[in-house]
Amino acid sequence: MRRSLPLLLVGAFGFAMLVQYFTPLPAGRAIYGRVLEWMQVIFAAGLVLGGFNYARTHLRKVGRPGGDRVYSALALAALILMLAAGFMGGIERGSLFLWLFDNVQVPLQQTVFSLLAFFVASAAFRGFRARSVEAALLLCVALLVMIGRIPVGEMMGIGLPESARWLVDVPAVAAKRGILIGIGLGSVAVALRVMLGIERAWLGGSR
Amino acid sequence: MSLATFDRRIIFGVIFLAVAAPLIVPIGLVSEVSPGTQQFYDLIEQLPEGSVIMLSFDCEASSWPEIGPVADALVRHAMRRRLKIIGTSFLSEGTALGYDLLTRLTRQTGMPYGADWIYLGFRPQYIAAMLGMGESIQTEFPEDYTGRPLDSLPLSRQVRTYADMALVVSIADDTMPQYWIEYAGGRYGVKIATGLSAVMVTTFTPYLDSRQLAAVIGGLKGAAEYERRLGIRGSGSRGMDAQSTAHLAIILLVIVGNVAYFAGRKKP
Repeated sequence: MRRSLPLLLVGAFGFAMLVQYFTPLPAGRAIYGRVLEWMQVIFAAGLVLGGFNYARTHLRKVGRPGGDRVYSALALAALILMLAAGFMGGIERGSLFLWLFDNVQVPLQQTVFSLLAFFVASAAFRGFRARSVEAALLLCVALLVMIGRIPVGEMMGIGLPESARWLVDVPAVAAKRGILIGIGLGSVAVALRVMLGIERAWLGGSR
Repeated sequence: MSLATFDRRIIFGVIFLAVAAPLIVPIGLVSEVSPGTQQFYDLIEQLPEGSVIMLSFDCEASSWPEIGPVADALVRHAMRRRLKIIGTSFLSEGTALGYDLLTRLTRQTGMPYGADWIYLGFRPQYIAAMLGMGESIQTEFPEDYTGRPLDSLPLSRQVRTYADMALVVSIADDTMPQYWIEYAGGRYGVKIATGLSAVMVTTFTPYLDSRQLAAVIGGLKGAAEYERRLGIRGSGSRGMDAQSTAHLAIILLVIVGNVAYFAGRKKP
């Protein structure tokens, strides 16, 4: 029962939504609207649950001896501070919440992300070698696209931007289109398997 | 000094200088306007005055230095064309970023909140929210971002579903525009365009070719080109200086690395 009921619900809702999509009946639209509301409620509840789980996990870590407890305490303090700032001071421009977001979270995330430029440069210097014909081809294409995508490439006046655009718009998009069609067909197959109860991995457990 | 023992702090120093120097002392490089950017510009230009567009800030703070200039240029163009803007977001960080940007730019031009622009805020389950807005925006968002009832805002009374919008633009650093195409565009027929991080452009070009997307603008280069088309020099153009020198530095490093590699191989 613990497994059959979720399978039955998923199958019933899956097929009902599929039929509803092709049916212009008002009853179908009403059910559709109600299901969309349920989805929002379920996800909002999941978000709250996630918040509690986050707090619980870090509370446990704070209670344990070790150097990492400091980070958990900081994570909890940040959670409480942002919640308090949002609920008590509002979220409008000029509020503490938005000030903290703009001046703490945004720079922190951007700093971490910008480190990629340094690692990419270092990795390119050490690993990007023309060791074979294929590697040489990849290297030439990468350099051409890099220089063709900046104003310096345009200033050279030898068709570098056009060549770079062709490489991005034709061979790269051809490969991407193939991948997208594959993903689309795969998604349909997986959805049907889930609705028919053949695919059960999402239920968890060993069976 | 061999490649294996080469101090990578030198590489880090080169990249730091390549990025920081043009930001401190701008070079003023000018980007030619590409056909893709021109297509986006024309799309906005062709919308009648007073048309309503939705801007969805579907991006994280980490990619904002690249996506922010795109959003900035698009909002400036929309305001210049006197379009009405409905802002929303399906990523929590994009919510505050979008609100901040719209508040700042609309204050500069005196665009009144409620009549010319509104901000719906964040919804956690984007597929349900996208589908829900096709049925009723007021049901999906009974209140705006700051808690005001949506029905109390004049613009909201004018716009009930996607059918009342001329365009939806997703400012994204990931695959969110795909959901806009599938659920808002596919099901409700609203026109979709997107401003993307450069790395995502190839992913969405097939949708542009199939006309499921009306226009795509990509990365700092796209922002710099758009700014040029608008006749302004903003953060996109300034960022493009730094991106250009960083690209040149990486190209130089790759060439030096290969020369050193082949020179090392020839030695017995």
